[in-house]
Amino acid sequence: MFFRSKQKHIEAGMREYREKAAACVSAFALGMHDFCETGDFERLEEQARAVHAAESEADDLRRQIENMMYERALFPESRGDILDLLETMDSVVNQADRTLRSIFDQRITIPREVRQFILELTEINERCVGLMLQASLLLFDTYTSASALTGKMDELESRSDRLQAETVQWIFTHDLSDLQKILLRDLVGAIGEISDKCMNVGDRIRIIVVKRMI
Amino acid sequence: MVSPLSMLPLGGGAFLGWSLGANDAANVFGTAVGARIVRFRTAALLCSGMVILGAVLQGTEGIETLSSITTQTVHTAVIVSVAAAITSTIMTVLSLPASTSQAVVGAILGIGLATGNTNFTPLLKVAVCWILTPIGSMAIAILVFLAAKAILRRLPMSILTRDKVLRFGLILFGSYGAYALGANNVANTTGMFAGLLDGVDNHMLTAIGGVAIAAGVITYSHRVMLSVGSGIMNMDAFSALVAVLSMSITVHIFALVGVPVSTSQGIVGAILGIGLLRGVHVLRFGLLRRIAIGWFMTPFLGLILSAAGYAIITGTFGAP
Repeated sequence: MFFRSKQKHIEAGMREYREKAAACVSAFALGMHDFCETGDFERLEEQARAVHAAESEADDLRRQIENMMYERALFPESRGDILDLLETMDSVVNQADRTLRSIFDQRITIPREVRQFILELTEINERCVGLMLQASLLLFDTYTSASALTGKMDELESRSDRLQAETVQWIFTHDLSDLQKILLRDLVGAIGEISDKCMNVGDRIRIIVVKRMI
Repeated sequence: MVSPLSMLPLGGGAFLGWSLGANDAANVFGTAVGARIVRFRTAALLCSGMVILGAVLQGTEGIETLSSITTQTVHTAVIVSVAAAITSTIMTVLSLPASTSQAVVGAILGIGLATGNTNFTPLLKVAVCWILTPIGSMAIAILVFLAAKAILRRLPMSILTRDKVLRFGLILFGSYGAYALGANNVANTTGMFAGLLDGVDNHMLTAIGGVAIAAGVITYSHRVMLSVGSGIMNMDAFSALVAVLSMSITVHIFALVGVPVSTSQGIVGAILGIGLLRGVHVLRFGLLRRIAIGWFMTPFLGLILSAAGYAIITGTFGAP
């Protein structure tokens, strides 16, 4: 049926978007890991470009999916829900892109003692994004199970918040320049923002599911 | 051979049929069109086709009931149809779902009272069925809602598949509702002419009435559809589907019984049943009150207009 093929296109588009977004965040995590190990800004710039390229591809896909929505394929309510979801998911990917780029632009050096915090924070936020992408895909498979994952996202986001606070405390209680303290604090905040934005997506997913529960 | 001149009195019935189509199509597709789940063009085409089918296949039972309330002449039948059409049109202009059945029965009763010739037995049957319509529809809606909810919850599906299932259901049940509308309500349009026109039997009357209803659906039902869709309760697609199916079953049952009933009362009864399950706070009681006022006004207005029409015709030309 005509509607069936449009549905399949949208679902395929969402899966592809998920892959691109996952690739972007993986590239971000890899970039953070590499930079923490090597401190090499040239290498970081390459990786930031790779993250940005993945983010742009994800953006293009998002626009394609949005255009498909407007070809009268869906209930108006569902169209609105999916468009809002995509926009919120896009903010997560953008945040990863911006964060890595900011390290290069501001030439932030990460002291050895802070690296473990940064890496752990990055890993938690990356996992949170993974859960977010999984939950969003479940909407196009068995939507009633999608909101179950948001509880796990919540836990990771809370862990991220605690680790952020711990890291910032460490930064301001050790011997670093004021500028370095501020830059590192902002960097920690920017990484933690990824899981915060994931929670926004989680909230949208919860609402989408609840609206359809009879 | 039926002469075109002998069909002229059916103009009143055709006008009434048009008015019924304009007003009542909203009860089968209003929620779907109002929520922009189904396009108006799709709804109008399906509705008009199924109305004609229902009228032709199962519309004669109601004609026999209406024609037994009072003895009619061609002239009083015209008065009845015009009075009922004017009543229904007034309600349509006010964008309120009104009962054409009540308008017609009110108008027939007006003639009966004016001529001193009313058979109250079929009238009582009609009144009982009118009372049972919203109650029956409410009960069916509650059962259908709970059953459908249990089924849907067990089926794993994506949000897009869910939309597709609901859209298909709305189109299917809306079409069934249109069939039931034609089967049950065609008697309101041309039933008063039963046995009065040479060469025009009840089957022909149902065909003419069905086409008139279809014309009303296509030409004027859009605005009323939009007002019913969001009027009484904030309806999601699932609730809309349950409401339409419940009303359709109820109206079809009464078509088989042979009593024209109100699809408006059917749909409101169904919506009330769903509202009770979901919590009465979702119902818009202000609009419900207006609809209730309309329901009481409709037969009364039909009665007054037909009695007045009869008095005017009698006063001007002598007894028709």
